[in-house]
Amino acid sequence: MDVFRFERVTKAPLRNLNFSIQEKDKVMIFGPSGAGKSSLLFLFNRLSDPDEGVIYLQNQPIIDCPIPTLRKRVGLVLQAPHLFPGTVKDNIKYGPSLFGEWQEEQAEQLLDYVQLPMALLNRDVEDLSGGEKQRVSLARTLANSPDVLLLDEPTSSLDYRTAEEIEEVLECLSQEHRITLIMVTHNLKQAERLGDKGFFMMNGEIVESGDLQDLLYEPTTDALNRYLDE
Amino acid sequence: MSPDVSNQSLLFLIVFVFVPLTLSYLYQLGMSKSIMWSSLRGTVQLFAIGYILTWLFDLPPVVGIPVMVSVMIVIATFHARNKGRELPHVFTVILIGLIVIEGIVLSLWIIFDMVEFKPSEVIPMSGMVIGNSMVAMGLALERMKSEFAENTGKLQAALSLGARPKQASHLIIRKTLNASLIPNIDKLKIIGLVQLPGMMTGLILGGVAPVMAIKYQLVISLSIFSAVSLSAMFVTLAMYRYFFNQQEQLLENEAQLEAQSKNRPSK
Repeated sequence: MDVFRFERVTKAPLRNLNFSIQEKDKVMIFGPSGAGKSSLLFLFNRLSDPDEGVIYLQNQPIIDCPIPTLRKRVGLVLQAPHLFPGTVKDNIKYGPSLFGEWQEEQAEQLLDYVQLPMALLNRDVEDLSGGEKQRVSLARTLANSPDVLLLDEPTSSLDYRTAEEIEEVLECLSQEHRITLIMVTHNLKQAERLGDKGFFMMNGEIVESGDLQDLLYEPTTDALNRYLDE
Repeated sequence: MSPDVSNQSLLFLIVFVFVPLTLSYLYQLGMSKSIMWSSLRGTVQLFAIGYILTWLFDLPPVVGIPVMVSVMIVIATFHARNKGRELPHVFTVILIGLIVIEGIVLSLWIIFDMVEFKPSEVIPMSGMVIGNSMVAMGLALERMKSEFAENTGKLQAALSLGARPKQASHLIIRKTLNASLIPNIDKLKIIGLVQLPGMMTGLILGGVAPVMAIKYQLVISLSIFSAVSLSAMFVTLAMYRYFFNQQEQLLENEAQLEAQSKNRPSK
């Protein structure tokens, strides 16, 4: 079943996007800087809206879904953690508290998902390392139990080792919890490890899409060929 | 000291203008023209307002007070809105805010018999309240704009977790109010210790007993404190919504904010 379907969607710099994403897909969006990857990500949870075209969520136009409910179902992890002032717990309970759904016992499970010790629960977020902050950001999004997880280069500002640890968490999430992943990344090795489908974007368009292995090893367009060579 | 300064003595004030003029000339600061112009303009403005006040003070209070207070509010509104020109309805919000705040303060003065309803008392004191409220509103607008610009990521994160604009802005609203109130709290703490407040100094120079001058100063200082707090709160709570559109999306730049002027704010 299609989770998302884009029909002739245009939103500068994005042009004429037509694609669909099925449940449990692990879609990797890659391409050069300025291709419109992050702009595309913001359309999925209506942090921005298309100028033209229609986006469907489970065959219903996305605009028919109440905005807070949509954003709860379609979680987003940004490039930087952007944690709120306070403790780890204040951050991870933020989303569920908005909907009156927070339960104390969730805390342990969430920290366990992102491989953080319970001892950090009441730690001020200012005292965390970069990797820990990004995990808290991930736990904060997962606390809403989203069906779809959007990730905007979540490891780009982390060192190699920490990035690998976050990657493990994501792998575990997609395999054990069968969540739909849509991730923007510049790291093709990471894309290969985490994804099964791929979108190659350039100048606001999806130039090539399909099976990720095919895209990476048997590209059909010159643009993707050149990008992979670089 | 005589409460009146003779015209002859006033002429000697030119010495005070010569000091910065000489500095500008010696160090080639290129500011001679603006020093002359601002000194001249200030003098003319003050004499003009002196004659206007004399005329207003002779009018019946129910005419003189509303006329002068209205003029002050309109000028203050034009001045404060410059700090948030790109925001929709900023003029109306400031105008309403100043009218409401001045109305509340003036009513309390009259009800509790702190100030007599006559132009010579109400107009100068209202001027101080309106002027300080104007500055507080301008600062709150500037602070709010910079907080929204600096915290785009946090706001997007909050919205993406399902927060409504009001919930997402909570952090910004708190920081803006905090920043607006702290200088006034500090000012009140050291009142009279470092510098004698202007109104009290004026009254003492005019021959009023210091304790009496202090009573007036307390009325005006606490009125200003309250007016400034209300101004910052009013403008912040009225304006935060214009940083979002109806689709509960954050407007990230001036162009988007200006385009929003034509639409209604988010809920």
